[in-house]
Amino acid sequence: MRKFAVLALIPFGFLSACGGGGYTVGNPPPPPPTQVIATPGSPNVESMTVGAGPAGVNAINTAYISVQVCNPTTGACQTIPDIEVDTGSSGLRLLASAMNGLILPVETNGTNPLAECLQFADGSSWGSLATANITLPVSGETASGVHLQIIGDPAYPASTIPMDCPAPAENTVAAFGANGILGVGPFLQDCGSACVTSVIAGTYYQCPAPSTCAGTTATLVQQVQNPVSMFATDNNGVIVELPAVGSAGATSLSGSLVFGIGTRTNNALGMATVLPADPNSGFIIGTYKGTAYIDGYLDSGSNGNFFTDSSLATPACTGSNTGIFYCPMSMMSETASLQGTTTTTLTANFSVGDADTITAGYAVFAGLGGPNSDPQGFDLGLAFFYGQNVFTAIEGTSISGNMGPFFAY
Amino acid sequence: MKLTGTALCSFVVAASLAPPAFAGLGADGTSVQTDLARMKGSLRVTSTAAFSVHEITSSSGTVVREYVSPDDKVFAVSWHGPFIPDLRQVLAGYYAQYVQAASAPHAGGHRHLTITQPGLVVESNGRMRAFYGRAWAPALLPQNFSVSSIE
Repeated sequence: MRKFAVLALIPFGFLSACGGGGYTVGNPPPPPPTQVIATPGSPNVESMTVGAGPAGVNAINTAYISVQVCNPTTGACQTIPDIEVDTGSSGLRLLASAMNGLILPVETNGTNPLAECLQFADGSSWGSLATANITLPVSGETASGVHLQIIGDPAYPASTIPMDCPAPAENTVAAFGANGILGVGPFLQDCGSACVTSVIAGTYYQCPAPSTCAGTTATLVQQVQNPVSMFATDNNGVIVELPAVGSAGATSLSGSLVFGIGTRTNNALGMATVLPADPNSGFIIGTYKGTAYIDGYLDSGSNGNFFTDSSLATPACTGSNTGIFYCPMSMMSETASLQGTTTTTLTANFSVGDADTITAGYAVFAGLGGPNSDPQGFDLGLAFFYGQNVFTAIEGTSISGNMGPFFAY
Repeated sequence: MKLTGTALCSFVVAASLAPPAFAGLGADGTSVQTDLARMKGSLRVTSTAAFSVHEITSSSGTVVREYVSPDDKVFAVSWHGPFIPDLRQVLAGYYAQYVQAASAPHAGGHRHLTITQPGLVVESNGRMRAFYGRAWAPALLPQNFSVSSIE
C-alpha cells in the first residue's frame, strides 16, 4: 500500500513530461519510471488512442489510429479514423462503409481482379483487393502502391462470399469492431509463401466477376503487405507505447505507435529484452505456474490476457462475459516467464481483475483476462501493453544483431 | 477413460477413395476419406478400443483430427496450424448451428471464440498464421470420454 500511496502523489504533469502519454478518467496510474513514451509527430511517431471505437462498438482494450488513404491515380484522399492497431496480423484493411466514398484502383493478378477471405478465430472478412498510397497523418510516414483489402465492398456482397470462406461474416463496422485494421505484426505479408505455391481454402481468390470468384495462388507482391515494411525508413517494426493505467481502468488512454526499431534515438531497443519468435507461427513460449505453453504471443489485437488457470475459473463471470473472461473477487497479480527461440527468458507481470465490474463507459481495463481454450495457448493482449513499451520486429530484419521476427520489452 | 491394455495401431493411407455424401462432425467414420481428398492431405490413424483418431495433415500445413467412436461416428474434430480449415466441411451438419451461435455478439474479440450449446461445443483461437480450434457434439461422445483428450 505504501508503494501505491507514493505513486498516487505523482502529478499529472509527469505523464506529459514523458511525452504523449495520458489518460482521461480513472485512478492515477502508476507509471514505471523507466517508461518513456515518444511524443507523436514527424518523422516516425503516430498518436494512438485506446477508446470505445466507432459508434456502437463499445470496444475494450482496443488501440485505434487514423490513416490517410489516397487513390494513386486521381490523388483523391480520405483520412479514416478508428482503425485498429494490430500487432497480431499484417496488412491494411478498410471497411468500405468507412471510406467516405473513396474509390481505389482494383488490384488484379494481370488477368482478373483479386479478392480475399481474411480468417479470424471468430469468423472471416470478405472483400476485394485494391491499391493505395497511404500516409500516417501525424508522423507523415508514407507508403506507395500498398495492396489493401476493402472489407464489405458493395461490389462483392454477401452472395459472392465463397463457400470455403468460413462464416460468420465480419463485413460491417459493427461486426468488425473498427473502421479498419492496420496489421503491423511480425510478418511481411498476411499469408506468405504458403499462398504462393498452393491454392489455400479461405485465403486468396481471383474473380472474373464478383459472383465467380475462385481460389487462387498469390505472389508475395500481390498479397496484402505489412505497410510498415513499405516505408522508406523506420520499416523494420513498431513499438506500441501506452502508459500504465490504474486498476479501475479509464474511459480512454492515449499513447504512441512508433515506427522503426533502432533506426532513431526515439526507437532504440535500449534495455529491452529480445525474444525471437518462431519464424513460421510467430509463437514464443509462456511458462505459467510451472506449465510451459508453446503457443504464446504478445498481441495488441487481443483485448485481454488469455491463459489457462483453473483457480480463476470460479467465481464465474456473468452475462456475455461467461466463459470468456475471468472474474476473481479481487485483483490478482500474475507472473509468467517468456522465452523465444533462444535461452533468454523475460518475466511478464500482469493482473487479472473482475471483468464483470468494469465501469460502464470504460474502454481501458488492465485486469482483463480470460481462459485460453488452446491447451497450449498463452496470449498476452493489449492489457499487458499498458505501462511498458512493446516492440514487434518484422521477419527478415536484423536489429542490433537480433533477427526478426521478435518481440521485446 | 481406461486405456490400460488397449492395443494401439497406426497406419498411413493415400487419398483416393470416392467421397461419401457427408463428412466431418456427426458423419460416419468413412467420411474422413472425403475430408482427406478435399484437403489434399495425408492421413494417419491411431486407434484404441474407445475411439480412433484420423489425423489429416492438409497441404496448407494445418493438421485436422477427426475423432471416431466405436459406432463409427465422428464425435469431435480439432485443427491446429497456419489456416483454419473449411469449417463448412469440418463441422458438416453442425455448421449452420455454429454460424448462428458465432454470429451473436461475443466479448472475446477476433482471437477467442467459445460456443457452448447443449448439442455443440466449439472453441476457436488464434491469429494470422497460427490457429487452434476444436469442436465436439456432446451427445455423440463415447462413454467416459474426456474432452481433454481432444488435442
